[in-house]
Amino acid sequence: MKYTIRHAGPQDCREIMRLIVELSVYEKLEEQVNITHKELEVDGFGENPFFKCLVAEVPEDERTKEGHTVVGYSMYYFVYSPWKGRSVCMEDLYVMPDFRGQGIGKALMCGIAKIGWDNKCTRLQFVVLDWNKPSIDFYKSHGAQNVTEKEGWQEMRIDDNAMEKLAQMAPKI
Amino acid sequence: MNFTIRHAKSCDCEHIMRLIMELAVYENMSEQVKITSKELERDGFSNHSFFKCLVAEVPEEHQTKEGHTIVGYCLYFYTYSTWEGRVIYMEDLYVMPKFRGNGIGKAMMCRIAQIGRQSECARLQFNVLNWNKPSIEFYKSHGALDLTEKEGWHAMRFEVAAMEKLAQMTVATCATTTT
Repeated sequence: MKYTIRHAGPQDCREIMRLIVELSVYEKLEEQVNITHKELEVDGFGENPFFKCLVAEVPEDERTKEGHTVVGYSMYYFVYSPWKGRSVCMEDLYVMPDFRGQGIGKALMCGIAKIGWDNKCTRLQFVVLDWNKPSIDFYKSHGAQNVTEKEGWQEMRIDDNAMEKLAQMAPKI
Repeated sequence: MNFTIRHAKSCDCEHIMRLIMELAVYENMSEQVKITSKELERDGFSNHSFFKCLVAEVPEEHQTKEGHTIVGYCLYFYTYSTWEGRVIYMEDLYVMPKFRGNGIGKAMMCRIAQIGRQSECARLQFNVLNWNKPSIEFYKSHGALDLTEKEGWHAMRFEVAAMEKLAQMTVATCATTTT
């Protein structure tokens, strides 16, 4: 099956949102999705982008029965390691089930790696759910290390009321 | 003890690097530090910065015996959640041992939360080593959730060699067009 990997544009935001929701259902966390394509447009394609995105597209004759040609995406952004310097973070990687097994996921991930490499990044980092064996095996087969297991890193989050409470205690600068 | 929290400047990079090394030693990972103050200057204080940083400073009369007044730092950047939108990510939070217990760490974390709120961020995220009980308790006491425990998220990483291999496979495995 032919496909192309390209940079996403603002016109792709509805399609990316459709795929974000599909991924959250797969991850059994769909109740956590609180943004829409409008936030993606502002935050990814405005003056001060918070992320970039690659999409995988198939030709018209391979489109889904609903008529979609965008069948996968990978969102990424640049981060920083005070030990290693520039890094690229792959926030999401998703390919619609009917289009798996064609190398699309690998192509998206390689695209991110190349972008990172071209920008002098020394790491590609991401998170994965511990029960997601197919994905973990896929990543490990390409040399990924699980740094939660290997080094003991725990992912932490402060949000909603707890974040607001901290913000109100901040000193003046 | 009086202290101020301020935005770091390019001239602070040697001090930030000193504290980065101290934190790496505390985390038993000092051999992993490969950058110097030069990379910090290039990557944090030029047109396209990869991070921002707060520093904690004490007055001259409280300086360390080596003469340092910068006693803590907090390096952060913005990330994105496809579920919640904008996120502020606290990459490092460190206060020199002799200056702990004065609210400096908490003040820097609160300032990050405030900066995040001002930038319409829905989350403050970070990671912490699972043996670092004092830090975990500090964060949990301020409402932090451990997502590795709670939801099973694991941090994964491709280091340099594996990443280069993937990067070289890009041209070989797909037709790529840019818009």
